[in-house]
Amino acid sequence: MSSHSHDTISKWDLVKNGIFKENTIFRLVISLCPAIAVTNSVKNGFFLGVAVLFVQTMVNSTVALIRRFIHPKIRIPIFMLIISGWVTVVDMIIAAYQPEVYKQIGLYIQIIVAFASILARAEMFASKNSVGNSFFDGLGSGLGFLVALVIISFFRELLGKGTLWGVSIVNAKPMLIFILPTGGFLAVGLLMGFFNWIDMRFYGGKGAGGAGGH
Amino acid sequence: MTGKDIAKITFNLVVIYLVGGLLLAYVYARTSPVIFINNKIAKEKALQALVPEADKIDKLGDWEPHEKHAEYFVARSCGEVKVKTIKDEKTGKTKEEKECINPKDIGYIVQTFGKGYSSYINILFSVDTDFRVRKIDILHHAETPGLGDEIEFDYFKNRFVGKDVDHLKVVKNETDEYIQAITGATISSRAVTEDGIRKGLEFLIKALEGGHQGEVSHEQPQS
Repeated sequence: MSSHSHDTISKWDLVKNGIFKENTIFRLVISLCPAIAVTNSVKNGFFLGVAVLFVQTMVNSTVALIRRFIHPKIRIPIFMLIISGWVTVVDMIIAAYQPEVYKQIGLYIQIIVAFASILARAEMFASKNSVGNSFFDGLGSGLGFLVALVIISFFRELLGKGTLWGVSIVNAKPMLIFILPTGGFLAVGLLMGFFNWIDMRFYGGKGAGGAGGH
Repeated sequence: MTGKDIAKITFNLVVIYLVGGLLLAYVYARTSPVIFINNKIAKEKALQALVPEADKIDKLGDWEPHEKHAEYFVARSCGEVKVKTIKDEKTGKTKEEKECINPKDIGYIVQTFGKGYSSYINILFSVDTDFRVRKIDILHHAETPGLGDEIEFDYFKNRFVGKDVDHLKVVKNETDEYIQAITGATISSRAVTEDGIRKGLEFLIKALEGGHQGEVSHEQPQS
Protein backbone atom coordinates (compact mmCIF):
# COMPACT_ATOMS: atom_id res chain seq x y z
CA MET A 1 0.00 0.00 0.00
CA SER A 2 3.01 2.30 0.19
CA SER A 3 2.81 5.20 -2.19
CA HIS A 4 6.55 5.03 -2.66
CA SER A 5 6.71 1.48 -3.96
CA HIS A 6 6.53 2.56 -7.60
CA ASP A 7 8.65 5.66 -7.43
CA THR A 8 11.50 3.83 -9.10
CA ILE A 9 9.37 3.47 -12.24
CA SER A 10 9.42 6.56 -14.43
CA LYS A 11 6.21 8.21 -15.60
CA TRP A 12 7.07 7.36 -19.18
CA ASP A 13 7.44 3.68 -18.26
CA LEU A 14 3.94 3.74 -16.78
CA VAL A 15 2.50 5.26 -19.94
CA LYS A 16 4.42 2.83 -22.16
CA ASN A 17 3.27 -0.07 -20.05
CA GLY A 18 -0.35 0.85 -20.70
CA ILE A 19 0.14 1.21 -24.43
CA PHE A 20 2.26 -1.88 -25.10
CA LYS A 21 2.83 -4.43 -22.38
CA GLU A 22 -0.59 -4.19 -20.77
CA ASN A 23 -2.60 -2.96 -23.74
CA THR A 24 -6.26 -3.32 -22.78
CA ILE A 25 -7.40 -4.91 -26.04
CA PHE A 26 -4.40 -6.73 -27.47
CA ARG A 27 -2.65 -7.88 -24.29
CA LEU A 28 -5.16 -7.96 -21.42
CA VAL A 29 -8.05 -8.86 -23.75
CA ILE A 30 -10.69 -6.92 -21.80
CA SER A 31 -13.38 -4.48 -23.02
CA LEU A 32 -13.70 -6.28 -26.33
CA CYS A 33 -17.40 -5.34 -26.59
CA PRO A 34 -16.75 -1.68 -27.43
CA ALA A 35 -13.69 -2.67 -29.45
CA ILE A 36 -16.05 -4.41 -31.84
CA ALA A 37 -19.21 -2.32 -31.50
CA VAL A 38 -17.82 1.12 -32.37
CA THR A 39 -14.86 0.39 -34.60
CA ASN A 40 -16.70 0.38 -37.93
CA SER A 41 -15.34 3.86 -38.59
CA VAL A 42 -12.13 5.59 -37.53
CA LYS A 43 -14.05 8.64 -36.33
CA ASN A 44 -16.18 6.63 -33.91
CA GLY A 45 -13.20 4.65 -32.66
CA PHE A 46 -11.16 7.78 -32.12
CA PHE A 47 -13.80 9.73 -30.20
CA LEU A 48 -14.75 6.82 -27.99
CA GLY A 49 -11.03 6.30 -27.33
CA VAL A 50 -10.66 9.94 -26.29
CA ALA A 51 -13.66 9.67 -23.96
CA VAL A 52 -12.24 6.51 -22.39
CA LEU A 53 -8.81 8.14 -22.06
CA PHE A 54 -10.32 11.02 -20.11
CA VAL A 55 -12.54 8.83 -17.91
CA GLN A 56 -9.72 6.37 -17.20
CA THR A 57 -7.30 9.12 -16.17
CA MET A 58 -9.83 10.89 -13.95
CA VAL A 59 -11.07 7.67 -12.34
CA ASN A 60 -7.53 6.46 -11.62
CA SER A 61 -6.59 9.80 -10.03
CA THR A 62 -9.77 9.98 -7.95
CA VAL A 63 -9.44 6.40 -6.73
CA ALA A 64 -5.79 6.92 -5.80
CA LEU A 65 -6.66 10.16 -4.02
CA ILE A 66 -9.23 8.59 -1.72
CA ARG A 67 -7.81 5.04 -1.51
CA ARG A 68 -6.83 5.36 2.17
CA PHE A 69 -10.26 6.54 3.29
CA ILE A 70 -12.31 3.82 1.67
CA HIS A 71 -13.40 0.81 3.70
CA PRO A 72 -12.12 -2.30 1.83
CA LYS A 73 -15.55 -3.97 1.99
CA ILE A 74 -17.25 -1.32 -0.17
CA ARG A 75 -14.24 -0.69 -2.41
CA ILE A 76 -15.84 -1.89 -5.67
CA PRO A 77 -19.21 -0.10 -5.28
CA ILE A 78 -17.33 3.12 -4.54
CA PHE A 79 -15.19 2.65 -7.66
CA MET A 80 -18.37 2.15 -9.67
CA LEU A 81 -19.83 5.38 -8.27
CA ILE A 82 -16.68 7.27 -9.20
CA ILE A 83 -16.71 5.79 -12.71
CA SER A 84 -20.36 6.58 -13.34
CA GLY A 85 -19.89 10.09 -11.98
CA TRP A 86 -17.06 10.87 -14.38
CA VAL A 87 -18.82 9.21 -17.30
CA THR A 88 -21.90 11.37 -16.69
CA VAL A 89 -19.71 14.48 -16.62
CA VAL A 90 -18.08 13.53 -19.95
CA ASP A 91 -21.48 12.69 -21.43
CA MET A 92 -22.95 16.08 -20.55
CA ILE A 93 -19.89 18.05 -21.66
CA ILE A 94 -19.71 16.36 -25.08
CA ALA A 95 -23.48 16.73 -25.55
CA ALA A 96 -23.21 20.45 -24.84
CA TYR A 97 -20.05 21.42 -26.68
CA GLN A 98 -19.65 18.77 -29.41
CA PRO A 99 -23.23 18.00 -30.50
CA GLU A 100 -22.14 16.57 -33.87
CA VAL A 101 -19.78 14.08 -32.27
CA TYR A 102 -22.35 13.31 -29.61
CA LYS A 103 -24.84 12.29 -32.29
CA GLN A 104 -22.37 9.63 -33.40
CA ILE A 105 -21.07 8.23 -30.12
CA GLY A 106 -23.55 9.42 -27.48
CA LEU A 107 -24.90 5.93 -27.12
CA TYR A 108 -21.49 4.44 -26.43
CA ILE A 109 -20.34 7.04 -23.91
CA GLN A 110 -22.90 5.94 -21.39
CA ILE A 111 -21.76 2.32 -21.59
CA ILE A 112 -18.23 3.30 -20.60
CA VAL A 113 -19.63 2.82 -17.08
CA ALA A 114 -19.65 -0.91 -17.71
CA PHE A 115 -16.22 -1.17 -19.35
CA ALA A 116 -14.19 -3.82 -17.56
CA SER A 117 -10.98 -2.00 -18.45
CA ILE A 118 -11.78 1.08 -16.35
CA LEU A 119 -12.65 -0.88 -13.22
CA ALA A 120 -9.70 -3.22 -13.80
CA ARG A 121 -7.17 -0.36 -13.79
CA ALA A 122 -8.78 1.22 -10.72
CA GLU A 123 -8.62 -2.07 -8.80
CA MET A 124 -5.29 -3.37 -10.13
CA PHE A 125 -3.31 -0.16 -9.97
CA ALA A 126 -4.92 3.00 -8.64
CA SER A 127 -6.13 1.47 -5.37
CA LYS A 128 -2.52 0.60 -4.48
CA ASN A 129 -0.53 3.53 -5.84
CA SER A 130 0.03 7.26 -5.51
CA VAL A 131 -2.08 9.86 -7.32
CA GLY A 132 0.76 10.80 -9.67
CA ASN A 133 1.56 7.25 -10.70
CA SER A 134 -2.12 6.38 -11.04
CA PHE A 135 -2.65 9.40 -13.26
CA PHE A 136 0.08 8.25 -15.64
CA ASP A 137 -1.09 4.65 -15.49
CA GLY A 138 -4.58 5.84 -16.47
CA LEU A 139 -3.08 7.97 -19.23
CA GLY A 140 -1.11 5.01 -20.57
CA SER A 141 -3.92 2.54 -20.42
CA GLY A 142 -6.36 5.06 -21.94
CA LEU A 143 -3.89 5.80 -24.74
CA GLY A 144 -3.41 2.06 -25.28
CA PHE A 145 -7.17 1.67 -25.67
CA LEU A 146 -7.37 4.67 -28.00
CA VAL A 147 -4.51 3.37 -30.18
CA ALA A 148 -6.04 -0.11 -30.33
CA LEU A 149 -9.45 1.27 -31.34
CA VAL A 150 -7.94 3.47 -34.04
CA ILE A 151 -5.88 0.57 -35.47
CA ILE A 152 -8.88 -1.77 -35.54
CA SER A 153 -11.21 0.82 -37.04
CA PHE A 154 -8.57 1.86 -39.59
CA PHE A 155 -8.56 -1.62 -41.11
CA ARG A 156 -12.29 -2.14 -40.77
CA GLU A 157 -13.31 1.15 -42.37
CA LEU A 158 -10.73 0.88 -45.15
CA LEU A 159 -11.52 -2.72 -46.02
CA GLY A 160 -15.26 -2.54 -45.42
CA LYS A 161 -16.26 0.85 -46.79
CA GLY A 162 -13.21 1.99 -48.74
CA THR A 163 -13.16 5.23 -46.72
CA LEU A 164 -11.09 6.71 -43.89
CA TRP A 165 -12.58 9.27 -41.47
CA GLY A 166 -15.52 9.35 -43.86
CA VAL A 167 -13.35 10.35 -46.83
CA SER A 168 -13.44 8.05 -49.81
CA ILE A 169 -10.07 6.36 -50.46
CA VAL A 170 -10.97 3.66 -52.95
CA ASN A 171 -14.24 3.92 -54.80
CA ALA A 172 -15.41 0.44 -53.85
CA LYS A 173 -16.25 -1.74 -50.89
CA PRO A 174 -13.49 -4.36 -51.04
CA MET A 175 -14.70 -6.52 -48.14
CA LEU A 176 -18.02 -5.39 -46.80
CA ILE A 177 -17.92 -8.04 -44.08
CA PHE A 178 -15.35 -6.00 -42.16
CA ILE A 179 -17.80 -3.34 -41.04
CA LEU A 180 -20.36 -5.90 -39.92
CA PRO A 181 -19.95 -7.40 -36.42
CA THR A 182 -18.51 -10.60 -37.89
CA GLY A 183 -15.70 -8.60 -39.43
CA GLY A 184 -15.10 -6.94 -36.08
CA PHE A 185 -14.27 -10.28 -34.50
CA LEU A 186 -12.09 -11.17 -37.48
CA ALA A 187 -10.21 -7.87 -37.37
CA VAL A 188 -9.61 -7.98 -33.61
CA GLY A 189 -8.49 -11.63 -33.81
CA LEU A 190 -6.12 -11.07 -36.71
CA LEU A 191 -4.59 -7.95 -35.15
CA MET A 192 -4.21 -9.68 -31.79
CA GLY A 193 -2.45 -12.55 -33.54
CA PHE A 194 -0.21 -10.06 -35.32
CA PHE A 195 0.78 -8.33 -32.08
CA ASN A 196 1.38 -11.70 -30.42
CA TRP A 197 3.60 -12.66 -33.31
CA ILE A 198 5.63 -9.45 -32.94
CA ASP A 199 5.88 -10.14 -29.23
CA MET A 200 7.11 -13.70 -29.74
CA ARG A 201 9.42 -12.84 -32.61
CA PHE A 202 11.16 -9.80 -31.14
CA TYR A 203 10.60 -9.86 -27.40
CA GLY A 204 10.44 -13.56 -26.61
CA GLY A 205 6.77 -13.53 -25.55
CA LYS A 206 7.27 -11.78 -22.23
CA GLY A 207 4.10 -9.66 -22.44
CA ALA A 208 1.16 -10.00 -20.08
CA GLY A 209 -1.00 -13.07 -20.61
CA GLY A 210 -4.63 -13.06 -21.70
CA ALA A 211 -7.24 -12.51 -19.02
CA GLY A 212 -10.73 -12.63 -20.61
CA GLY A 213 -13.75 -10.58 -19.68
CA HIS A 214 -15.91 -8.30 -21.74
CA MET B 1 -18.43 -6.33 11.20
CA THR B 2 -17.92 -3.97 14.12
CA GLY B 3 -19.73 -0.76 14.83
CA LYS B 4 -16.63 1.09 13.72
CA ASP B 5 -16.78 -0.58 10.30
CA ILE B 6 -20.42 0.32 9.89
CA ALA B 7 -19.73 3.91 10.84
CA LYS B 8 -16.84 4.13 8.40
CA ILE B 9 -18.82 2.62 5.53
CA THR B 10 -21.72 4.99 6.17
CA PHE B 11 -19.36 7.94 6.33
CA ASN B 12 -17.64 6.83 3.08
CA LEU B 13 -20.90 6.56 1.20
CA VAL B 14 -22.33 9.84 2.47
CA VAL B 15 -19.20 11.76 1.50
CA ILE B 16 -18.99 10.14 -1.96
CA TYR B 17 -22.66 10.81 -2.67
CA LEU B 18 -22.42 14.41 -1.52
CA VAL B 19 -19.27 15.25 -3.48
CA GLY B 20 -20.43 13.34 -6.57
CA GLY B 21 -23.90 14.86 -6.39
CA LEU B 22 -22.53 18.38 -6.10
CA LEU B 23 -20.15 17.84 -9.03
CA LEU B 24 -22.90 16.44 -11.23
CA ALA B 25 -25.30 19.22 -10.24
CA TYR B 26 -22.70 21.81 -11.15
CA VAL B 27 -21.92 20.28 -14.55
CA TYR B 28 -25.62 19.78 -15.26
CA ALA B 29 -26.42 23.38 -14.42
CA ARG B 30 -23.66 24.56 -16.76
CA THR B 31 -24.39 22.23 -19.69
CA SER B 32 -28.16 21.73 -19.79
CA PRO B 33 -29.02 25.21 -21.13
CA VAL B 34 -26.38 24.77 -23.85
CA ILE B 35 -27.76 21.34 -24.76
CA PHE B 36 -31.30 22.72 -24.87
CA ILE B 37 -30.32 25.56 -27.19
CA ASN B 38 -28.26 23.21 -29.37
CA ASN B 39 -31.24 20.92 -29.86
CA LYS B 40 -33.52 23.83 -30.66
CA ILE B 41 -31.10 25.30 -33.20
CA ALA B 42 -30.50 21.88 -34.77
CA LYS B 43 -34.25 21.39 -35.19
CA GLU B 44 -34.82 24.83 -36.68
CA LYS B 45 -31.90 24.32 -39.07
CA ALA B 46 -33.21 20.93 -40.18
CA LEU B 47 -36.65 22.41 -40.90
CA GLN B 48 -35.28 25.46 -42.68
CA ALA B 49 -33.03 23.29 -44.86
CA LEU B 50 -36.07 21.45 -46.21
CA VAL B 51 -37.77 24.63 -47.43
CA PRO B 52 -34.88 27.11 -47.73
CA GLU B 53 -36.97 29.98 -49.11
CA ALA B 54 -39.57 29.87 -46.33
CA ASP B 55 -39.72 32.94 -44.12
CA LYS B 56 -41.71 31.26 -41.43
CA ILE B 57 -42.30 27.65 -40.38
CA ASP B 58 -45.26 27.01 -38.11
CA LYS B 59 -46.24 23.83 -36.38
CA LEU B 60 -49.62 22.49 -37.49
CA GLY B 61 -49.94 19.58 -35.11
CA ASP B 62 -48.76 16.20 -33.85
CA TRP B 63 -49.29 12.68 -35.07
CA GLU B 64 -48.12 9.22 -34.05
CA PRO B 65 -46.60 6.99 -36.70
CA HIS B 66 -45.62 3.64 -35.08
CA GLU B 67 -46.81 5.06 -31.77
CA LYS B 68 -43.96 7.55 -31.74
CA HIS B 69 -44.38 11.27 -31.36
CA ALA B 70 -43.92 13.25 -34.57
CA GLU B 71 -44.88 16.73 -35.75
CA TYR B 72 -45.93 18.37 -38.98
CA PHE B 73 -45.45 21.92 -40.12
CA VAL B 74 -46.48 24.45 -42.72
CA ALA B 75 -43.85 26.54 -44.47
CA ARG B 76 -44.89 30.08 -45.38
CA SER B 77 -43.43 32.94 -47.29
CA CYS B 78 -44.32 36.44 -46.29
CA GLY B 79 -45.82 38.96 -48.67
CA GLU B 80 -44.02 41.59 -46.67
CA VAL B 81 -41.79 41.46 -43.63
CA LYS B 82 -42.11 44.21 -41.08
CA VAL B 83 -39.32 44.46 -38.53
CA LYS B 84 -40.35 45.86 -35.19
CA THR B 85 -37.88 46.85 -32.52
CA ILE B 86 -39.10 45.86 -29.10
CA LYS B 87 -37.55 47.03 -25.88
CA ASP B 88 -37.43 44.57 -23.02
CA GLU B 89 -38.60 46.41 -19.90
CA LYS B 90 -36.61 44.30 -17.47
CA THR B 91 -33.19 44.15 -19.11
CA GLY B 92 -33.45 47.33 -21.14
CA LYS B 93 -32.18 45.48 -24.21
CA THR B 94 -33.79 45.97 -27.56
CA LYS B 95 -34.51 43.08 -29.84
CA GLU B 96 -35.92 42.87 -33.31
CA GLU B 97 -39.09 40.99 -33.98
CA LYS B 98 -40.27 40.15 -37.46
CA GLU B 99 -43.87 40.41 -38.36
CA CYS B 100 -45.15 38.48 -41.32
CA ILE B 101 -47.81 40.22 -43.40
CA ASN B 102 -49.92 38.29 -45.91
CA PRO B 103 -48.26 34.93 -45.38
CA LYS B 104 -48.68 32.42 -48.19
CA ASP B 105 -48.40 28.66 -47.74
CA ILE B 106 -45.63 27.35 -49.95
CA GLY B 107 -45.30 23.81 -48.63
CA TYR B 108 -45.49 21.42 -45.74
CA ILE B 109 -42.93 19.55 -43.66
CA VAL B 110 -43.76 16.23 -42.02
CA GLN B 111 -41.77 14.19 -39.55
CA THR B 112 -42.36 10.46 -39.84
CA PHE B 113 -40.99 7.06 -38.83
CA GLY B 114 -40.41 4.00 -40.99
CA LYS B 115 -39.77 0.53 -39.59
CA GLY B 116 -36.44 -0.49 -41.09
CA TYR B 117 -34.25 -3.57 -40.90
CA SER B 118 -32.80 -2.92 -37.46
CA SER B 119 -34.33 0.37 -36.29
CA TYR B 120 -37.10 2.89 -36.68
CA ILE B 121 -35.89 5.43 -39.21
CA ASN B 122 -36.72 8.99 -38.23
CA ILE B 123 -37.41 11.01 -41.37
CA LEU B 124 -38.24 14.62 -42.16
CA PHE B 125 -39.59 15.53 -45.59
CA SER B 126 -41.08 18.55 -47.29
CA VAL B 127 -43.72 18.72 -50.02
CA ASP B 128 -45.09 21.44 -52.25
CA THR B 129 -48.68 22.57 -51.95
CA ASP B 130 -49.52 20.05 -54.70
CA PHE B 131 -48.00 17.30 -52.49
CA ARG B 132 -44.94 16.43 -54.50
CA VAL B 133 -41.84 15.68 -52.43
CA ARG B 134 -39.31 18.50 -52.42
CA LYS B 135 -36.60 17.25 -50.14
CA ILE B 136 -36.04 14.57 -47.52
CA ASP B 137 -33.72 14.32 -44.55
CA ILE B 138 -32.86 11.27 -42.45
CA LEU B 139 -32.70 12.44 -38.84
CA HIS B 140 -31.82 9.21 -37.10
CA HIS B 141 -31.49 5.51 -37.80
CA ALA B 142 -29.46 2.45 -36.84
CA GLU B 143 -29.50 0.51 -40.10
CA THR B 144 -26.64 -1.79 -41.11
CA PRO B 145 -23.43 0.17 -41.73
CA GLY B 146 -22.33 -0.15 -45.34
CA LEU B 147 -25.73 -1.31 -46.60
CA GLY B 148 -28.81 0.26 -45.04
CA ASP B 149 -27.01 3.39 -43.93
CA GLU B 150 -26.85 4.50 -47.56
CA ILE B 151 -30.36 5.91 -47.02
CA GLU B 152 -28.43 8.92 -45.68
CA PHE B 153 -26.58 9.43 -48.95
CA ASP B 154 -27.58 12.18 -51.35
CA TYR B 155 -27.91 9.87 -54.35
CA PHE B 156 -30.75 8.05 -52.58
CA LYS B 157 -32.36 11.13 -51.06
CA ASN B 158 -32.41 12.83 -54.47
CA ARG B 159 -34.51 10.01 -55.90
CA PHE B 160 -37.50 11.39 -53.97
CA VAL B 161 -37.58 14.84 -55.56
CA GLY B 162 -40.88 15.48 -57.36
CA LYS B 163 -42.55 12.18 -56.43
CA ASP B 164 -46.21 12.13 -55.43
CA VAL B 165 -48.11 9.53 -53.39
CA ASP B 166 -48.64 7.22 -56.37
CA HIS B 167 -44.94 7.17 -57.26
CA LEU B 168 -43.55 6.61 -53.76
CA LYS B 169 -43.04 2.94 -54.46
CA VAL B 170 -39.82 0.94 -54.26
CA VAL B 171 -38.77 -1.08 -57.29
CA LYS B 172 -35.58 -3.07 -57.69
CA ASN B 173 -34.87 -2.26 -61.34
CA GLU B 174 -33.39 0.95 -62.56
CA THR B 175 -36.10 3.60 -62.72
CA ASP B 176 -36.75 7.31 -62.56
CA GLU B 177 -40.49 7.00 -62.27
CA TYR B 178 -40.51 5.24 -58.91
CA ILE B 179 -37.92 4.93 -56.13
CA GLN B 180 -35.08 2.63 -57.03
CA ALA B 181 -34.02 0.46 -54.07
CA ILE B 182 -30.48 0.61 -52.69
CA THR B 183 -28.63 -2.52 -53.76
CA GLY B 184 -28.65 -4.96 -50.86
CA ALA B 185 -30.87 -2.76 -48.71
CA THR B 186 -34.40 -3.20 -50.03
CA ILE B 187 -35.91 -3.31 -46.54
CA SER B 188 -34.35 0.01 -45.52
CA SER B 189 -35.34 1.58 -48.86
CA ARG B 190 -38.94 0.40 -48.41
CA ALA B 191 -39.02 1.63 -44.82
CA VAL B 192 -38.06 5.14 -45.89
CA THR B 193 -40.23 5.27 -49.01
CA GLU B 194 -43.41 3.39 -48.21
CA ASP B 195 -43.64 2.98 -44.45
CA GLY B 196 -42.19 6.41 -43.77
CA ILE B 197 -42.76 9.04 -46.42
CA ARG B 198 -45.80 7.65 -48.24
CA LYS B 199 -47.68 7.10 -44.99
CA GLY B 200 -46.63 10.53 -43.80
CA LEU B 201 -47.85 12.13 -46.99
CA GLU B 202 -51.16 10.26 -46.90
CA PHE B 203 -51.59 11.42 -43.33
CA LEU B 204 -50.81 15.02 -44.26
CA ILE B 205 -53.33 15.08 -47.11
CA LYS B 206 -56.01 13.61 -44.87
CA ALA B 207 -55.22 15.97 -42.00
CA LEU B 208 -55.39 19.03 -44.24
CA GLU B 209 -58.65 17.92 -45.85
CA GLY B 210 -60.00 17.30 -42.39
CA GLY B 211 -60.40 20.99 -41.78
CA HIS B 212 -57.04 22.73 -41.71
CA GLN B 213 -56.30 25.92 -43.52
CA GLY B 214 -54.62 25.82 -46.90
CA GLU B 215 -55.44 25.70 -50.58
CA VAL B 216 -56.40 22.04 -50.58
CA SER B 217 -59.23 22.51 -48.14
CA HIS B 218 -62.58 22.15 -49.84
CA GLU B 219 -64.51 23.12 -46.76
CA GLN B 220 -64.76 26.49 -45.15
CA PRO B 221 -61.76 27.07 -42.89
CA GLN B 222 -62.78 26.31 -39.35
CA SER B 223 -62.27 28.79 -36.54
